[in-house]
Amino acid sequence: MMENAWIIPLFPLFSFLILLAVGKRLKENSAYIGILLTFISFVYSVMVLFERLNAPTLKAEQVWLTIGTMELTAGFEVNPLNSLMLVVVSLVSFLVHMYSKGYMHGDERFPIFYAYLGLFTFAMLGLVISPNLLQTYIFWELVGLGSFLLIGFYFYKEEAKAAAKKAFIMTRIGDVGLLIGMILLFWEVKSFEYADIFAAVQAGTVSETMITLSAILIFVGAVGKSGQFPLHTWLPDAMEGPTPVSALIHAATMVAAGVYLVATLFPLYEASHIAMLTVAIVGGFTAIFAASIGLVQTDIKRVLAYSTVSQLGYMMLALGSAGYVAGVFHLMTHAFFKALLFLAAGSVIHAVHTQDIEKMGGIWKKMPLTAPLFLIGTLAISGVPLFSGFFSKEEILVAAWTRGNTVLFWLAVVAAFFTAFYMFRLFFLVFTGEARSEVKDAHESPFVMTLPMLVLGGLAVFAGYVNTPWFGTFLGDWLTEGTDMHVHHEAPSWIMIVATVVSLLGIFLAWLMYGKKSLSRDWLSSRMPISYHVLFNKYYIDEFYQLTVVYAAKAVSMLFKYIDRFIVEGAANAVAALTQGIGKAGARLQNGQVQMYGAVTIIGLAALVVILALTGGYL
Amino acid sequence: MDLKTLLQYEWGIMTPEFTILGVATILSLIDLFMPDEKDRRLLGWFAFAGVIVALISLVGLLPVEVTSILEDTFRLDSFAKAFKFILLAGAACVILLSMDYQPAEGMPYRGEFYYLFLAALLGAMMMTSSGDLITMFVGLELLSISSYILVGLRKKYVPSNESAMKYVINGGISTAITLFGMSYIFGLTGTTNLKAIAGQLSTVIDMGQQYLLALALLMLFVGLSFKLASAPFHMWAPDVYQGAPTPVTAFLSVVSKTAGFVIVLRLMIYIFAGTPAEGTNSASMLLSMQDYIAFLAGATMIIGNTIALRQRNVKRMFAYSSIAHAGYLLVGFVTMSMFIIDSIWFYLVAYLLMNLGAFAILQVIADKSGSEDISQFAGLYRRSPLVAVAMGIFILSLAGIPGTAGFIGKVNIFLGAFVTEPAHYVLAAVMIATTVISYVYYFGILTQMFFRPAAEQTPVKLPLGVMMVVIFCAIGTIVFGVVPSIVYDFLNQFEHFGDFFS
Repeated sequence: MMENAWIIPLFPLFSFLILLAVGKRLKENSAYIGILLTFISFVYSVMVLFERLNAPTLKAEQVWLTIGTMELTAGFEVNPLNSLMLVVVSLVSFLVHMYSKGYMHGDERFPIFYAYLGLFTFAMLGLVISPNLLQTYIFWELVGLGSFLLIGFYFYKEEAKAAAKKAFIMTRIGDVGLLIGMILLFWEVKSFEYADIFAAVQAGTVSETMITLSAILIFVGAVGKSGQFPLHTWLPDAMEGPTPVSALIHAATMVAAGVYLVATLFPLYEASHIAMLTVAIVGGFTAIFAASIGLVQTDIKRVLAYSTVSQLGYMMLALGSAGYVAGVFHLMTHAFFKALLFLAAGSVIHAVHTQDIEKMGGIWKKMPLTAPLFLIGTLAISGVPLFSGFFSKEEILVAAWTRGNTVLFWLAVVAAFFTAFYMFRLFFLVFTGEARSEVKDAHESPFVMTLPMLVLGGLAVFAGYVNTPWFGTFLGDWLTEGTDMHVHHEAPSWIMIVATVVSLLGIFLAWLMYGKKSLSRDWLSSRMPISYHVLFNKYYIDEFYQLTVVYAAKAVSMLFKYIDRFIVEGAANAVAALTQGIGKAGARLQNGQVQMYGAVTIIGLAALVVILALTGGYL
Repeated sequence: MDLKTLLQYEWGIMTPEFTILGVATILSLIDLFMPDEKDRRLLGWFAFAGVIVALISLVGLLPVEVTSILEDTFRLDSFAKAFKFILLAGAACVILLSMDYQPAEGMPYRGEFYYLFLAALLGAMMMTSSGDLITMFVGLELLSISSYILVGLRKKYVPSNESAMKYVINGGISTAITLFGMSYIFGLTGTTNLKAIAGQLSTVIDMGQQYLLALALLMLFVGLSFKLASAPFHMWAPDVYQGAPTPVTAFLSVVSKTAGFVIVLRLMIYIFAGTPAEGTNSASMLLSMQDYIAFLAGATMIIGNTIALRQRNVKRMFAYSSIAHAGYLLVGFVTMSMFIIDSIWFYLVAYLLMNLGAFAILQVIADKSGSEDISQFAGLYRRSPLVAVAMGIFILSLAGIPGTAGFIGKVNIFLGAFVTEPAHYVLAAVMIATTVISYVYYFGILTQMFFRPAAEQTPVKLPLGVMMVVIFCAIGTIVFGVVPSIVYDFLNQFEHFGDFFS
């Protein structure tokens, strides 16, 4: 099985090629090809994962290109981290393929959508099994291309086109960092192989500064891909793509590629304290920054997008705090519950034809499957005990605490509170309360859409149990076997309590502000007399929160929004304006008069000669 | 020189040149005596066959050791062989394109097209094999003068006339500057033979003479930058590219540019690489003047890529893109790494494939609609998916996205900028930054093709010749991008052009 793992990415590639060739004839039957081929990939990935549980890491390569004395290789590798990623990616992709059959039904470019999905899945799986930086980079770019095509799928929408372009160019800015970092490493180590790089780092043949520099440059690439501050702005815009795409690419897989890259290169980062700290700070800041923006969004997908940015920040924080297992663990659980949330949101959008949560409400009864599943996802992301997100988030908090990043730890705690709050705000506004005009004729989605959600729902609950403080840290032991990365931290038990309390507090506040409207006073007072007293004071609490927490949060949120708009975008605009300015000036010089062209040449030559004369020969 | 010595020369090494010369002569005679109303397309196939025969004879010459005849004025070394491949392959594609070229007002002088092409090609081929300033200059002028006429071949189309005029005038200036530079070299050495020049200059230690040589280097480079379409001699390119018939534009941007790099490499490396600079200091003149060329390379990349942002006429946009690519190639030249010729050769091959492929599709679309505006690409994917995918491949390769030949070419040049001592960080940074800028306009075309509704629904049909070019270029772009080792295995037989000086 394992020695043939390279075949896994090829199935989706076949799907892409077949659909490109005959998609027009197959029409909506294209879905079956895509579903079948990704299912094979998934089954194969599971088999590889199980085999890898008891087998050593496998790596196979061949010489791909010889430049002078340099040999570049191509091949694949199966290690614990990427065999896990293979399963996550192929599973989510398979489920999204299935879901899209219902969601995209009736779209006239249905086969093209499946073709693009195949291309993307191929690239993502290829990225995961790459054994060296160059190959990773190649698939990294291909993944970006797939994302570009899918975001712009609704090409008749001006926003979708703009978003596709923005996503591509923003992530490319990060990729430049990655490329330079990669070349620097190559220059030092004379190899793109991960194994060679780690060996050189451990042997101390690479200078400390060079490690830090290249690690940070590569991290810039991860920042772009994983939507970390300040290159995050493309991700919320990318929600213009079809919702299944948001679930697959902008929640579960591609955006996690940045985290995956840092995790893969973890030994490199570990060798540099500054690089680790940079990763932790950017991650921690992004976590709270995006969470606070999430508080005031009114578009269901944008709320989820900001929450994705924030959760990816958590993962980076974990990695930067030496919490390798925590980061990877959260990557996995997040893939499941965030994909679930997006698919459920898609199911809602499919039913009510709007994304504005102000226009939704009271869908609980109309969508008896979607609603509880969305609730499960919400509970998981909020870190409610016994759900998967609880275990992985707690692990991250422990990592941040034991690393001594106290400030970042408390920021992460506050972000957890925000997360619980805005997710439940979303939940209450969408599913409870008065049914508003848009939702009168809403009905449950077809089985082909709810089945993938059920699977993800199960995973959102149970995926956490592979690594818990109570039943054993199976995942952590396996991921780190043979290395000295995983030290069992005796986590202070109060961290778990704090995590639980803030998440419940967030939920409670959201309920007070948005949920309470669904419950008439009589209902509560008659059935829960004890609560009546609490309810009596609700305005007091409400106003108290309004004055303190909510205003403060809003202020922070506004501040970040302005930073976002004026500083981040301002810098981006300034660069763009400079570029266009040069272009404009150049175009003006190009006035069509041949004497001007001759003059430019002669002046250019004269300038060179004058410089030569002044410098007495050589620069 | 008597008849006997003349006959002793191994004329066989000139077989490709003789083939082209013969076909061009025969074509011009046939064209003269052929009735006017007869279709000239047949002549195109004849010219194509001639180029293919020349290619085959070139393959036959591959095992031949370095040979030079006619007092070293014509030499066949691995450099000449390698670059003739590019020239011949490019010319074959351009001839295929020109057969299906149908401007609105008709093409009454189609016959002239072919033998002028061949004459220009012959000039370019002579340049690759020249070991003497005189033959090199004659080859250059043969190429240039044929190109001037080609640009103006749409006689009833005003922009074509205008661009021919501009091309001639700028070409004249360029020739003057180049010749001026050459005269310095001749004045200092008293010979036109490159090998003799290199031998004499390697012992020059007089500061005054070295100063004159530095001047000559600048003159030569600026004069020749006309052929490369690089700064400061780039401004003719957009006007001429836009006005010229599309196959001629393709010719200028690929074959003529390749010839430009051939002459730059040959002259600069031969004359200046072994010449000491700064008195007795052993640093070579070429290395100590590197910064000037680096500056020009940077300016070329910036100018090409930023002004391209503002273009809506696709041909004009490609003119600026071709300026930008000349800049990337110059980065390869500046770095002077061990594999400078290898990496430039590879990039030129990749550039030939992606650029000719793009021009092939552009020609069909512009012919069909009578407009070269970018909006003509709108909805191409819906009209003809395969054509759009092929164009997509070319664009991605031009932008340097992995999986394509353009990416490997850029990586080569980029790595070259780092492995040399001192590393060229600034230049590499400019290259990366301008590459990112180029995504904006390249992806503008992709957006049009894939994300815009089509103005008209009729599918775009590619004529046979164009189809052949598109398929050839698309396959080449992908194959060389995925398994570049094919190209490197081929290049290995030249052993990094070690016989360049022998």
